[in-house]
Amino acid sequence: MSDAPARGIDPRGPRFAAGITSFLLLVDVLLGLTGLSTARADAVWFAYQPLADATFIPGAEWAIRYASLAQRVLDPAFLLLLVIALLFLWGVLSPRTAPWGVLYRKAVQPRLSPPTELEDPRPPRFAQGVGLLVTAVGLMLHLVGVPWALPIAAAMAFVAAFLNAVFGLCLGCQLYLLLQRMGLVGRERAAA
Amino acid sequence: MDLVSALVGLAVLLAATVALGVFLRWRQNRPRRHIPHEIVQPERLGADGLGENATLLQFSTELCARCPGVHRTLAAVAAAHEGVRHLDIDLTHRPDIARHFHVLQTPTTLILDRDGAVQTRFGGAPNRDVLELELARLTSETATHV
Repeated sequence: MSDAPARGIDPRGPRFAAGITSFLLLVDVLLGLTGLSTARADAVWFAYQPLADATFIPGAEWAIRYASLAQRVLDPAFLLLLVIALLFLWGVLSPRTAPWGVLYRKAVQPRLSPPTELEDPRPPRFAQGVGLLVTAVGLMLHLVGVPWALPIAAAMAFVAAFLNAVFGLCLGCQLYLLLQRMGLVGRERAAA
Repeated sequence: MDLVSALVGLAVLLAATVALGVFLRWRQNRPRRHIPHEIVQPERLGADGLGENATLLQFSTELCARCPGVHRTLAAVAAAHEGVRHLDIDLTHRPDIARHFHVLQTPTTLILDRDGAVQTRFGGAPNRDVLELELARLTSETATHV
């Protein structure tokens, strides 16, 4: 096998963390669907911006187009997804100290039987990076005023986290091979 | 969007995700046999030889969460059968092999017969019973041919 580190992690830890993350993402999808991201520009919004009567603006029917940057930032779905994205960032930068991992080791692991097998910590860390990318794209698009971007990004991240937590399936791993085949990650080892 | 439609949307998302998970789990325990029965040359994979009766050829990458588990399962299956060998090929630095075998996901496991011809393909992490069954089918088939 490759030069995998001798000390692995308990594979139940990342799945526990994915369970909490998927719950937070589901709440965020709900906030996104009921919040600014998918709101129609009805009379209330037009009251602030009484200019769009004759000229047609693409996406003019969405409230987010008329919201100020502060209103977009203060949308609850944006704030929660920002927190989730920062947690993903934490998981990429320092997996050992990431909150859900610490919670698992402090509160859950002592109550379980010791792990039968240890796992390479690199795949879950890569998956955190994929989650960070997806949520960051959603946050950016929301900030520039794209309707639906936030709940769709949250839903995509939710699918991946939920499949990991409940079924032990890893979409990020499949993505890795596709990226590698496209030559974006990994390198062909120089012929010896 | 009002709360009721949002909750309906949430329920649809949850149901679709569960359905996807069930489908993916079902598919990875399903052997695929209608595949090109290519003869594998072990030297090209950096291995010194194949199993006498059958070979469990696994493709992994470094960043594959399920590969170590499948590695343990396949190693145990190989150890329990005479003349069955387990090879684990790391594709991280070998996109040429991934392209050659059209590997789109890891782990992918090929079962080769005694001649090194690819007979069965599993995508994902098949459970041990399915593997044992497939191996038994393959070795009994080659036995009747001889």
